[in-house]
Amino acid sequence: MNQTGSLYRLDHVVHYYNDTKALNIDEMTIPAGSITGLTGPNGSGKSTLLKLLAFVSAPTSGNIYFKGRREYPFSSRSRSRVTLLTQEPYLLKRSVYDNIAYGLKIRKDTKQLDDRVRNALATVGLPYGEFAFRKWHQLSGGETQRAAMAARLILEPEVLLLDEPTASVDADSAKLIRDASLKAREFFGTTLVIASHDWHWLYEICDNLLYLFKGMVFSSGMENIISGPWEKQGEDLYARKIGGEGKLFVNTPPAEDSHALVRKKDLHINPHASGKERENFDNRLEGVITRMILEKAGMEIITSVMIGDLFFTLRLSGQEVRSLRLYPGAKVVICFQKDAVQWL
Amino acid sequence: MDFLLSGFLKALDLLITLDSSTWSAVAASLKVSTISMLISLAAGLPLGFALGYFDFRARRFIRTCVDTLLSLPTVFIGLVVYAFITSRGPLGEFGLLFTLTGIAIGQVILALPIVVALTASTVENMDNRLRLTLMSLGAGKRDLVVTCLWEVRYGLLAAAVTAYGRVMTEVGISMMVGGNIKWHTRTITTAIALETGKGMFANGIALGLVLITIAFAVNISVSFLRQR
Repeated sequence: MNQTGSLYRLDHVVHYYNDTKALNIDEMTIPAGSITGLTGPNGSGKSTLLKLLAFVSAPTSGNIYFKGRREYPFSSRSRSRVTLLTQEPYLLKRSVYDNIAYGLKIRKDTKQLDDRVRNALATVGLPYGEFAFRKWHQLSGGETQRAAMAARLILEPEVLLLDEPTASVDADSAKLIRDASLKAREFFGTTLVIASHDWHWLYEICDNLLYLFKGMVFSSGMENIISGPWEKQGEDLYARKIGGEGKLFVNTPPAEDSHALVRKKDLHINPHASGKERENFDNRLEGVITRMILEKAGMEIITSVMIGDLFFTLRLSGQEVRSLRLYPGAKVVICFQKDAVQWL
Repeated sequence: MDFLLSGFLKALDLLITLDSSTWSAVAASLKVSTISMLISLAAGLPLGFALGYFDFRARRFIRTCVDTLLSLPTVFIGLVVYAFITSRGPLGEFGLLFTLTGIAIGQVILALPIVVALTASTVENMDNRLRLTLMSLGAGKRDLVVTCLWEVRYGLLAAAVTAYGRVMTEVGISMMVGGNIKWHTRTITTAIALETGKGMFANGIALGLVLITIAFAVNISVSFLRQR
């Protein structure tokens, strides 16, 4: 049942909250020892997916395989190996020391506990003498997040799931948490799954970046998803205003407010294309490059272009960037065919 | 007003000189309330946890029943327990009428809904991140229950103190089921009722002072535990 090297395998996993479908994944694998990033808008299913991967709740239907075996919440095998850190972690109403030692105590693994707590605290930049015996309510938001991170790191987990771990902390704490998560991978070979809106960070460290939208997973990083409303322009021709006079043309959508997906590979960028070259495309949209990030996994350059109220993301090679002389602030034209649009 | 002042002074004298009938009522009260509280807490905490934590079909109905039992009059409980343990009742063969055990049964019926309802409310109001945190740190089902109860310990303590207050101060059950027998089933509250009826204010005031002192001691202890 296990794909070689894959730690997790999700098979037709669907999860509902009451009548709302929060997650719908046909097939997904996460390789052992990898760093997988999850990105996507709020409510796209990132947190739900992490909870299922952490086995703190079971999917409404479908199976989750961990190391080749189907696992469930409270399974002794998975709960000793997988841990989750949420955006706003809860500290138990006891001292920082007791919070960090809790996981080991319930495992009855208390050998050299003081040293291990000291090391865990040091990893997240909290001096033992100053913080170990503070009460849970005597910490700032960033310190709370770091103490919670230490409580996970001390377990030397096989899988560390991080749900927007740096979203509500100061810059210093965010850096310490980011560094600590990488140390976990370096020291314990921990597999990391990180949900974050900080795609700068994700592109920098992830081996694999997944984009979630309305509970569905797209396996190629940031994708271009455009929401309606779509207005009829002619026979099998609809358009969406993108600020000013600009319009984005598509074929007939399933509904007026459908979401359109334009994959990065279908986008063409050219600052110098002549009018004739551009006319070969149904959509020719003028915009400005706002960000360029080197992607760790493919060593390509992820380029964001702002067009009206929309952002498009493209993956470009270093050669393309050099030859087209692209840089943040450069004006470019994004071209694509309306047939390239997929409906979600 | 003189009778109040002289009653108060005589009450102090009774307490200081360790008046045996006064202290016998105090001992009976402490004994029976401690037994009934131990039973109520042992049964009420897990039941309250289950009612507040788990979502099941009859939960709302059971919650309503428990809340209704909170307002049961003590004389009614006394009547029901009397009916069951009197020699003609279904439990008559056990000879529980006019015993401290009989009073304890009535007081458990009084205290149990309080412990269950307040525990359930405390657990319902528990931070919903707690379960997620404990599970993500590797807690099993038993660890989950124990740690959750420990996390809401102040709420549970409040439930216990409230129930204890109700048990210590009730008269109806002790009077009807215990029979107010001197040296045996006479409790602080039944003794106060009797002594006041006889015009013996000093004895009533002395027992009242003990009652207030116990309440004060319990609350001081709770406050001390909270600070820790």
